[in-house]
Amino acid sequence: MPSEMITLQLGQCGNQIGFEFWKQLCIEHGISPEGILEEFASAGSDRKDVFFYQADDDHYIPRAVLLDLEPRVIHTIMNSPYAKLYNPENVYLSKHGGGAGNNWASGYAQGEKLNEEVFDIINREADGSDNLEGFVLCHSIAGGTGSGMGSYILEHLSDRFPKKLVQTYSVFPNLDEISDVVVQPYNSLLTLKRLTESADCVMVLDNTALNRIASDRLHIQNPSFAQINTLVSTIMSASTATLRYPSYMNNDLISLVAPLIPTPRLHFLMTGYTPLTADHELNTAPKIRKTTVLDVMQRLLQPKNMMVSLSPDRTNQHCYISILNIIQGEVDPSQVHKSLQRIRERKLASFIPWGPASIQVALSRRSPYVHASHKVSGLLLANHTNMSSLFDRCVQQYDKLRKREAFLEVFRKEPMFKESLEEFDESRAVVDGLVREYQAAATPDYVHWNPESSQI
Amino acid sequence: MREAVKGVLYVERYRQDIIPRLDSFVRDCSECVEDNNQLAFSVQGDAEIFGRICEIAKSHHRIQNFIHGNGFCSRKTQSASTHRTTGLYMQALSEGISEVLQSYKKTLVEVENLVIGNHNYTLAFIYSYVEKYHGLFNTLNRIITTIRERRLNGCQILSLIHQYILNGNERVHQAIVIIFSCINEVFVNQLVTWLLYGELKDPYKEFFVFHSQDDASDTFVSSPSTTNTCDKSLASTLQDTALDCGFMLKPNMIPYFVPLSLAQEILFIGKTVILFGFDPKVKKSSNFLAQRSLTPLQRCGIDSRRFTIWEEKEAEFHEKLQKLKKPEFFEVLNLRGVVREIKECVTKHLWTVAVEEAQLIHELKLMKYFYLLGRGELFLELLRLTSHMLDKPTTRTSTRDMNHAFQLAARAVFLSNSADIEKFSFELPYVKPNISANSSIEDDNNSTVADGWSSIILKYDFKWPLHLLFTPEVLARYNDMFRLLLRIKKTQHDLHALWKTYKQSSSFAMCQLHNKLMFLMDNLQHYMQADVLETNFSRLMDDVNKTNDFEKLKKYHATFLADVLSQSFLTVTSSADSDHSGEMTESLNNPVFCNIMELLKLCHSFCSMSEFVTDKESEDYYIRGYTDRYNKLVKQLMQLLVSLRDQPCGVYLARLLMRLDYNRWHSREAQLTQSVTNMLRY
Repeated sequence: MPSEMITLQLGQCGNQIGFEFWKQLCIEHGISPEGILEEFASAGSDRKDVFFYQADDDHYIPRAVLLDLEPRVIHTIMNSPYAKLYNPENVYLSKHGGGAGNNWASGYAQGEKLNEEVFDIINREADGSDNLEGFVLCHSIAGGTGSGMGSYILEHLSDRFPKKLVQTYSVFPNLDEISDVVVQPYNSLLTLKRLTESADCVMVLDNTALNRIASDRLHIQNPSFAQINTLVSTIMSASTATLRYPSYMNNDLISLVAPLIPTPRLHFLMTGYTPLTADHELNTAPKIRKTTVLDVMQRLLQPKNMMVSLSPDRTNQHCYISILNIIQGEVDPSQVHKSLQRIRERKLASFIPWGPASIQVALSRRSPYVHASHKVSGLLLANHTNMSSLFDRCVQQYDKLRKREAFLEVFRKEPMFKESLEEFDESRAVVDGLVREYQAAATPDYVHWNPESSQI
Repeated sequence: MREAVKGVLYVERYRQDIIPRLDSFVRDCSECVEDNNQLAFSVQGDAEIFGRICEIAKSHHRIQNFIHGNGFCSRKTQSASTHRTTGLYMQALSEGISEVLQSYKKTLVEVENLVIGNHNYTLAFIYSYVEKYHGLFNTLNRIITTIRERRLNGCQILSLIHQYILNGNERVHQAIVIIFSCINEVFVNQLVTWLLYGELKDPYKEFFVFHSQDDASDTFVSSPSTTNTCDKSLASTLQDTALDCGFMLKPNMIPYFVPLSLAQEILFIGKTVILFGFDPKVKKSSNFLAQRSLTPLQRCGIDSRRFTIWEEKEAEFHEKLQKLKKPEFFEVLNLRGVVREIKECVTKHLWTVAVEEAQLIHELKLMKYFYLLGRGELFLELLRLTSHMLDKPTTRTSTRDMNHAFQLAARAVFLSNSADIEKFSFELPYVKPNISANSSIEDDNNSTVADGWSSIILKYDFKWPLHLLFTPEVLARYNDMFRLLLRIKKTQHDLHALWKTYKQSSSFAMCQLHNKLMFLMDNLQHYMQADVLETNFSRLMDDVNKTNDFEKLKKYHATFLADVLSQSFLTVTSSADSDHSGEMTESLNNPVFCNIMELLKLCHSFCSMSEFVTDKESEDYYIRGYTDRYNKLVKQLMQLLVSLRDQPCGVYLARLLMRLDYNRWHSREAQLTQSVTNMLRY
């Protein structure tokens, strides 16, 4: 079984999107909530083995590790029809069940404390695969468990598995509404440092943009968590489609990731998906009637379809570092070249001036068991220099709080911050360096970039 | 007075003489002439009439000689002694002629009776009876001389006689028609056995289809080296060589009234019918039969198969063909009509066998999955297991190791229990390195010893009768593609493996070079797989699904392969300036292909750099060297576009370059900005 991926779900948010992800995978592979392969799916040539393995009684078990410090979400999962799907040994709840109190430092400290038990599970899971390719970490960067404990695990995954890829699906907080987590800017900044330094690839799932898409594109007034999470699971399943179905290219994660990330630190990818349909719209006439390859590829380049809210690029200085489109459905392959040519001629996407870059198009199969309302659908994975604006916003929010010295006492309680708040300054420097590197990557002088001084 | 009486007596004597003379095959002309001299004719001018009668008699004599030499009765006596067998057509000709001569003989008997009954009949009277045969005998003699002079035999005779059918002289015309129908009978019989049963009842090699047993160096067999000519002929070569079981057309035997295309159709039908007798399933069961038969053709399964081809139509076709024996019906138009009908039936049956029984569509997909690396995950796993082995020169155990790894890889991606995987196997031909005394030659040899990448062969055990489609020639081309794709995939895989390492390295130059190479390989692969293979394959599938004619299907497949090869730059460009086509190089000299191979080599040495570079200084040195080489090669690739723009391969180079130069970075680097970027709009 080549190129297996182990999914780690951390915290409330991580477990929720993970749950949706597995639900989606089960539907796409024809696996029942109990993990039994449905009758109609028995002849499928799809590669279930990348994300699942088979127990002795042949039922499919996700290669997933569920971790949380408070029981609420995991209990919901264990009371759902999917309860029997997971390997109960892979579900870890901290014994006291008190959670991390939305405090990064608490999460990190508990991660350290529970490190043995957690890595026992991860190691066992890793031993169970023939040729593990890497880990997928689902978490949010704003809360306590996903961000704090996630940070700890990130740092140590790369120590323990130096050759494995670490990809994260990181949920960024919604900045449009007032969050109930007041220390969110602190948590985000501290997590971003780990994402920058320890992860190989971060898929940015921006709640701001997801909410905007839900209301603007899907016309849902007050999108629920479930609705947002459906969006997320759509993206996650589409981005792993080439791994899960036999195809001529992009059969492992590295072949998706490596071309997208030319320089080590600029590994934050944004996503886009089209066409999107909400459940309540299925019965009415779909908004997008015609889907061709060109159509889908053009739509994917429109900012309104991006699942990351970036500040408008008024001076037009930002550009794409790389783009990968995963197109699913009934595609006439000869259309790909034509579409690429049209986009190039019309200059619909601007690229970096310091190296070769292009739109790569991977054609992938779609699950035969899922009804698709559109002939062609597409996912965009892009590395864009304007990602800096997202981090810039995080730094600004942090600065605002930090200037007031607000809510720092909850951090001081934890051993890491007892002595000093150096960790904050360090993290700020790292994220600031990242912002500057992204900005520099939009200019031709990036070839002279010096990573040590974060300067050209 | 006395003289006159004597003359009459002579004539009397002669009159009585002349009948037997005419009748009993004048043996010796000189004798006749001698006689003639002695004769004194009663009537002035009798001498001339006598001469004319003699002429006819001599003509007849010659014809009789010919019949005697070639006729049926002569066969037994001749077969033992002479090599020059007369053949069926010659016999039929003789039979036809003797049939025609019957009326002449009847006339003679009639005249003889009259003369015997009444001695007063003059020579002129006799002449009046035999005169009408003059023209006929002349024509027949002309035919005989032509045959003798040109040494015609077999279908050539048929052809010749056919030319004489249109004659103004009604008598001659009818006679020739009779003769023609005799010969035609032989021809139609041969045609019937060939068309319906694929058997060549042709002991004297007279039919225009023949079976060459050992002289493979015939002009009709295309040697494999001629394939890399230009695209057009590549498609036709891939198609032509498909059906060869030793049967060929003998061009000089084809009757003039049969066009070459029709002859080829006839050849095709017979070959196909034979082919149905080659079903391996049947062959196994009746193996003992095959051993008993001495011919290289094992026609064991024929009986069981041939009825399924025709089903109930056999009788119908047989009748239609038999009708052709009638000379008034025998016309090219009719012949063509019947042949077309039969061909349609045969190709439909072939299509059914190939597409429905042998699941051609599925097999075509398998070709794509395996030869064209459609199952990427399988080959990724295979590369993981074997790339260390393929890097080295092949050893004796390589083939076995490779196949073992293939099984492992198949198991890893859950393909091992599918029957399809067993149809494929690898071969790594082991070439024993020749040890020569001369050390310098030895060095040369070492440098050119083939590693696994360049020598690996993927073998495919396909179902009968798909060898019509997947001929050795076709499979060789598929292997060319396979090796190129595997190499690209391997290079890409190696570069990807370094990604995590270089992510941690601080050298930006190193990172950049790695990126560029990775970008190049990724895009090359995208170009190959999406722009070339997927596009052409989906077109092939569309075409194949539309037709139910095997011949067309074969053509589509040949076009597909030819297109794929030319678009992958695996063909030799037919450069306009070197018109002498005789010069044919074995190696692929397509400049684009050479350039791509150089780039692959560059990637390879880049990937192995960590093995020999230890300190920072030499690392910088190598990086600089590789970067220069990369820039040079890419620039060269772009310049090739300028020189190849008018050729079909230039269009596809433009497609590749559009991907590589998507953000116009390469053209900016190469300082060719305007020209190249503008040319990418193909």
